[in-house]
Order: sequence, then C-alpha cells, then structure tokens
Amino acid sequence: MRDIILGVSPCWNCGASEPGRFCDACKALQPPVREYFAFFEVPPQLALDEKDLQQRFYALSRKLNPDLFSRKSPQEAEYALDATAVLNDAYRTLRDPISRAQYVLKLEGFDVGEQSTKDVPPELLEEVFELNMALEEANMGDPEAMDQVAGMRIRFEAMLIQTDAAVAKVSAAWDATHTREQLSELRGLLNRRKYITNLIDKANVPDRV
Amino acid sequence: MAYSDKVLDHYNNPRNVGSLDRASSSVGTGMVGAPECGDVMKLQIQVNDATGIIEDAKFKTFGCGSAIASSSLATEWLKGKSVDEALQIKNTDIVNELSLPPVKIHCSVLAEDAIKAAISDYRKKQGSDVAVTAAQTVA
Repeated sequence: MRDIILGVSPCWNCGASEPGRFCDACKALQPPVREYFAFFEVPPQLALDEKDLQQRFYALSRKLNPDLFSRKSPQEAEYALDATAVLNDAYRTLRDPISRAQYVLKLEGFDVGEQSTKDVPPELLEEVFELNMALEEANMGDPEAMDQVAGMRIRFEAMLIQTDAAVAKVSAAWDATHTREQLSELRGLLNRRKYITNLIDKANVPDRV
Repeated sequence: MAYSDKVLDHYNNPRNVGSLDRASSSVGTGMVGAPECGDVMKLQIQVNDATGIIEDAKFKTFGCGSAIASSSLATEWLKGKSVDEALQIKNTDIVNELSLPPVKIHCSVLAEDAIKAAISDYRKKQGSDVAVTAAQTVA
C-alpha cells in the first residue's frame, strides 16, 4: 500500500529505498505525490470521512509548513512549498462531495469537462429549458413577479437537495462495488446538478431596486 | 476575455429568437445542452416539403454570449439553404465567423449539434421520404 501511495523512487537525499513522505533513514522531506487520495494516505472513495480528512489536513499542514524548512537545504524548502500547494489543492478538492466526485470521475477516465450533448438525457434538457423559460418570464414581469421567482427558487433548491441525496446514494454504492455504471450514473447526476445550480443562480437576483 | 464585435452584435441583437410549431411535420426541433456550463439550446427549422429548402429558423438559448451568438448565426445561415446544404455547416465555420477563442469552441460545437438534431428530427417526421431519398442515393 505504501509503495502505491507514496511512490517508489529512492530518497533524493540519501538514496534509501521506499522513503515515504519523509525518508526513514535521513528524515529528508520527499517530493509530494500528486494524486490527492494518495497524498492524504486514504483509499480513493466517494463517501469519505470528512472529519478524518480535516484532521489529516491540519496534521499535514503543521508537518509541511514551509517555515519549518527555511533553514534546511533549498531542495527541501522547495519540496515543502510544493507539498503545501498540493495539500491545499487536495483538501479543497476532496473535502466537498461534489468536487470529490468530479475528481474521482476524472481519475477513472470520465472526462467531466469535455462532454457532448449526447451525454445529457433529452428529458433533462426539456425540463431545464422549460424551467429557464418560466424563470425568464417571471423575471421580465412586474415587481409582483418577484414572488413567483422566489417560489421557483424554493423549487430549484428542493431539486438540488434531491440530487445531492442521489449523489450520496450512488457514491456509497460505488465505494462498495466499483462499477462503471455507477460512475456513469454519478456523472449524469452531476450534470443535472450543474443545471440546477445554474437555475438557482439565475433565480437569485434579489431586490434589484 | 473580451468578446469579438460579431459576438456582441449577435448577443445584443440576436436574430430569429422564438419558436416554431413543434407539432408540424415540416418543423424539425433540436434541443441540445452543454452540461459543463449548464447551457441549453433549442433550434428549429421549418422546411418546405416540396423544395427541401429551409424557409425559417428560430432559436432560444440559455447560456453565455458565445452560445447565444453561435445559435443566432446558425439560424441566419440556415435560412434559404437546402437540408443537405445545412448539414455541411461545420462548427469551425462558426468559430471563424465569430472569432471565438479556444475556450468557447464548445459553443460552436453545440450549435452544430443543434442543427444536426433539428434536421434529424425533421427527417424522422418525414419518415417515408427519408427511405426514398436513401434508396435513390444507393441507386
């Protein structure tokens, strides 16, 4: 496990094999591993224990604080800066279930950013189109239409809660059985979620005087 | 990132916004979307069944300026073209005309997809005619 997690290059400083984050032999900090789950030394999973992740983040922040390396070799000081940057990116990505799911999809070869329209179910497009139309009409109306927009926002927020629950469910299922179908369902849910958050943003134009 | 003048022009004065009678057998409707940005685009064509010429085209897009401009431009180009000519419109033509930057190329892809979806819907509605055309092409 440790080989996979922290890499197999020998220690840059003393040449010892399997050095880990810090070399067992000379204690030198090693260059950071770039895969986020490996960086935190947790198995890749969607339903991650966020409290545990937070504790790991704090512990590593202390250990990797670049100030601690300012009087060490320039090489180690640079690794500390680099590791801190990876640490922050990794924590930001993994602490949130949605960005974590996007990250896992990317790791598993589902390219989230480059999808064609074929990946979106037609019913979803129709639904989103109709909701956008209704919202646009409500927005164009007189001030009384504000109530209508507020009502739609509540509806969108309820849709978001439902979607997030579905994301949590398929996430737990993937952690247990790891099938491609689960990931493809997950991607579909994330697409739906993106449309819903867009609608919420559009319905969130409050009190323009 | 700044929009080109042509994008701004289409964005501020979009051409052919609206909708056509979806139930009509001479109307083809294409509904496409880009999940990464949450865009939806509806594009419709009205075809003269006798001549096969696209007589009218309408769109409605919820999305960024480039998506709106791409679909607006597409409807302009569609009018007066035959269905077969319309299928030749490539997203790169839209990119060039609107000077879209690389990050907005997917908007032009969306417009091309919408054209293809509308034509495919029209042809599906024409059912038997498609078979005839295909048979003639083979012969």
